[in-house]
Amino acid sequence: MSDDHGLVEMEPTPGEKLAAIFKQREVRVATAWGVLVTAIFFVIGGWIYPSWMPTAMSTDMKSIERLIVIFTWISAPVCGIVLGFSIYTFLHRHKGDTPPADGPGFRTNSLVVGLWVIVSSALCLVAVVYGLIEMNSASAATAEHKKNAMVVEVTGSQWAWSFNYPEQGVQSHELMLPINRPVEFKIISVDVNHSFWPVQLGVKVDANRLQTTVIDTTPNKLGDIDVKCAELCGLYHAYMETSGKVMSADDFNTWVTAHQGGHTA
Amino acid sequence: MSGKESTMTASKRALSAVVGVLLMVAVVGVVGFTLHSASADPHKKLYATKTAETIVVDGKTYPKATITMGVYADTAQAKEMGYNTINKKDYVQYGPSSHIVLPAHTYVTMTIHGYDGGEKLNAPFFGKVVGTVGGTMNVDGVDVTEIPADQVQHTFTIHSLPSSNRDPLFVNIPLQHVDEGDNGFLPTKDPGTNYKGHTMTFSFITGGAGEYVWNCEYPCGDGTYAKFGAAMSAYGYMSGKVSVA
Amino acid sequence: MTTLDHHASVRPVPNPSKSLITKLNMGTGLVVGVIFALATYYGLGGDSAGVFENYNRTLLATMFMWSIGFMVGIGAFIGPFRWLVGKDLTDEEQLYLAGDGQGIKRYFKYCTDHKVVGIQYMVGVMALLGVGGTMAMMIRTNLIQPGSKFVGPTIYNSLVGLHGITMIIAMIIVVTGPFGNFIMPIMIGAADMAFPRLNALSWWVLFTAIPVLCSAWFLGGIPTGWTAYAPLSIQAGPGMNAFIATIIIFAVSTAVAGANITATVVAMRAKGMKWNRVPIFVVGATMSVALAIPAFPTFMVSMIMTGLDRSYATTFFDANLGGSGWLYAHLFWIMGHPEVYVILIPGVAVLMEIAPVFVRKPLFSYNAAIAGFAGITGLSILVWAHHMYMSGWMPMLNGPFMVTTEMISVPTGLIFLVILGTLWRGRPWMKLPMLGVYAFLWNFLIGGITGLYLSDVPADNYLHGSMYVTAHFHYTLMGAALTGALAGLAYWFPKMTGRMLNERAGYISFWLVQIGFQVLFLGMFIAGAEGQPRRVADYSVNFATSDLISSIGAYMIGLGMIVLLWAVIHSWRHGKIAPMNPWGSKTLEWTVPYPVPLVNFDTPPVVTSDPYGYGKAGN
Repeated sequence: MSDDHGLVEMEPTPGEKLAAIFKQREVRVATAWGVLVTAIFFVIGGWIYPSWMPTAMSTDMKSIERLIVIFTWISAPVCGIVLGFSIYTFLHRHKGDTPPADGPGFRTNSLVVGLWVIVSSALCLVAVVYGLIEMNSASAATAEHKKNAMVVEVTGSQWAWSFNYPEQGVQSHELMLPINRPVEFKIISVDVNHSFWPVQLGVKVDANRLQTTVIDTTPNKLGDIDVKCAELCGLYHAYMETSGKVMSADDFNTWVTAHQGGHTA
Repeated sequence: MSGKESTMTASKRALSAVVGVLLMVAVVGVVGFTLHSASADPHKKLYATKTAETIVVDGKTYPKATITMGVYADTAQAKEMGYNTINKKDYVQYGPSSHIVLPAHTYVTMTIHGYDGGEKLNAPFFGKVVGTVGGTMNVDGVDVTEIPADQVQHTFTIHSLPSSNRDPLFVNIPLQHVDEGDNGFLPTKDPGTNYKGHTMTFSFITGGAGEYVWNCEYPCGDGTYAKFGAAMSAYGYMSGKVSVA
Repeated sequence: MTTLDHHASVRPVPNPSKSLITKLNMGTGLVVGVIFALATYYGLGGDSAGVFENYNRTLLATMFMWSIGFMVGIGAFIGPFRWLVGKDLTDEEQLYLAGDGQGIKRYFKYCTDHKVVGIQYMVGVMALLGVGGTMAMMIRTNLIQPGSKFVGPTIYNSLVGLHGITMIIAMIIVVTGPFGNFIMPIMIGAADMAFPRLNALSWWVLFTAIPVLCSAWFLGGIPTGWTAYAPLSIQAGPGMNAFIATIIIFAVSTAVAGANITATVVAMRAKGMKWNRVPIFVVGATMSVALAIPAFPTFMVSMIMTGLDRSYATTFFDANLGGSGWLYAHLFWIMGHPEVYVILIPGVAVLMEIAPVFVRKPLFSYNAAIAGFAGITGLSILVWAHHMYMSGWMPMLNGPFMVTTEMISVPTGLIFLVILGTLWRGRPWMKLPMLGVYAFLWNFLIGGITGLYLSDVPADNYLHGSMYVTAHFHYTLMGAALTGALAGLAYWFPKMTGRMLNERAGYISFWLVQIGFQVLFLGMFIAGAEGQPRRVADYSVNFATSDLISSIGAYMIGLGMIVLLWAVIHSWRHGKIAPMNPWGSKTLEWTVPYPVPLVNFDTPPVVTSDPYGYGKAGN
């Protein structure tokens, strides 16, 4: 971006123009700010962000965590560019009650605009492709799960969840799952829309009236699960939550035995 | 910047700012106070009665307490049964309060008198007795573990938020409906009639102190989608709070 | 209106004394509206019917008749009626309608002057923001600690829904209402809007929606949130009728206003103002309303269907009887996603208008700005189902919708490029409007990047329906669009009121609001990442810290907004008298004096260049 842009007789190559841009001191200082900002966002993305999220208890949740970290890293340079240049100009602000003198009169710079479009499109493409790959591997896993998945029928009603295990003949208000066995949730609502969200498992889908929705996952870590409703469903939406557990196969069998035959204490 | 100065002196302007800001904060405060008052519990709290007895369950000793509630088809019925309702709407309702208080770490025996008819649960799961000692409740002297989904008049379902610091508490009690054909359920507008409902008795053990909620899972908001509007969606009729203290 | 080329000061006050229009004002509107409403309510049997459908029918009819009655009472239909019977309004009556020489009274009349309508919108928007902001304070007070100890679940759910819809309505009109009406016609060198009577109509119709919306509180509130998802909305109590009626009335208002603004920009630009010389604010405002014209009818239709389901027992959205809740979700989001850009684009356009003035440099790459707006406008109608990734409706289509959604980041990136390029190598003059540009850059960056996670299907598995979403859209709608609108307020205040906005109060307010905003919504991002669902009256203790942080930030914003409101009221009455062009801007609105003459320009201006000819080597 130079004042005499367009007045040069011999048109330099885009590469030379780019090099000329980076020779300017102000561009270098702004870039330095940008690098600092980028580094900060790298740290947030890599360490702070995941620490806020609950323990991942399935591969789905693990890949969401990874995806959020990578997306933060992809966007860190974007933040770097925008904030680096913002900070630079902010530090060179004009104070006082009268307007500053006119600045340079350049109106555009096709190289910068072109580069900007190419880079932002490329970053967008990376995000799209990465998301599609993740989606694809999730649906591949679904196909695999179908073979030996345990079915859990989830019923959303205003304002409580209930679970039916057809294979085991057990009903419960808590979501109990054996570790490392694929589970297929079949979700239905008996009234308004709800959204079934076992938080630590990283899956979610709405419960609709008369339309069964299906999601699957494989719990791979022992511990407690919070089951929440993520779709406003009326008076006690906030209380439409229940707890659950991922347990060892033996513990799960014990629990099943204890709850078979309608005994649900 | 050019232009004439304002007519107001600096000190007057500062006063105007302070007064103006305080006034607007006060307006927001009044709105808040009004909403807070409007959402107060409509009834006085209902406390469980502690008894001197104790009981041993699974090797632990608990003090005992009792509490009694009723569920009425409408206001007239509630009044006739001696419950002085202050509810505004003539809805089906639990009484005598929507906010019950239970002692902590106690064996609570609860009695619910139900005087209403019934059709069918939306979610059949809530026909089961859940969370009581022994997994049963007593209906007019008979121990049962569930009520068929089409013979329920209401449910009394206590639940809580997970991952809280309070102990988990989940109790589900389906109330046996009053068959309109037998000598029990009668039209409510007929004065001088004694209602013969069913009496459900059950016991559960409370954990540490904490706030919980209860609501009914039986669709009794007539005339609305899934019968969960009207009484079901109006706080204080078929829903309320449970404080363990 | 071009025949009214007299000078305001020498023209006598028009006095068509025999005409009915001199007798009508807001007061007669209120009286006739209330009479219509009461007659309808009791004519249909009040609430004595006791049947769900009948009562809903009565309430809806009452609300619509209030609106129609008010419009009759204020004289909105006199012009069309006179035209129908072949006795069109005389010139003198037209002048009277334009509020000529009527002082403060014209603000309470069916006044066709675009400047009066602009001020009416500005006061109306401030009232709506005040009401919505108060509700936000109530929400955050309830969430300050777990236990929902401040208000119960009924009132909390109503607060969430009514805060949402109040703010959405306020944000849709916050720029195109006050500035689109007052400033934009002057900016393009026009004497008034293309359809002055429609302009008055759009404001007063909107005005009638405000009491209807407020009546929701007295009818038991709404449990549905502003999205009003069916079938919950079918189940809801009588307050829902107020929501339905508000949306239908508001949709009429925006359709009228949108058509009017578009027609004005297309047909009434000054001589020489070719398309590449139109100020970027005008381009943005026009694209925004042009996008609203196809979007809002679907919202209106969805509300009509909800109303029919509730009051005539139709089954559009009742799955038990063959309807579908997904149908509602589609209709809603086909409006809902374009709508966020209807809100965003004018706010951004204001900042693009401001930046060159305060940096004294030309707008960087006008064409990129247009391409950015056009790209967003075009793509925004193809992305709605990203709100429904987790609804279970056709997971197969999540991929395509993810692609279109993420593509929006490219035109959005151009917006950053234009503003950064304009700032680059300038020395920004740090007045209040310019501070808004910087606040926008940060807020919209955060809003945009968090949107990237939400647009991604796997990540949305976790984030959908959580507080993360709430924080994200507040960063875009409030952090970006409202910041733009407030910058516009500071920028155009001198032209609209003749006085400067109090700077010190403005700075105090700016920093309170912006810092409070970061505290509030960064706290909310954390709550969302931790797994707190949105729209909950109560939450588990593990979210207590982030919610407490959020509430503290909310109080800072509340205080900052109150300071701003004081500054506006005080400066309007006692502020420094503003010079004609305090910022040294080159757009046309700064060439007219205050008070702006009735027809804006004594001689119609001729435009020879775009308004960005700043800079040493500039043209």
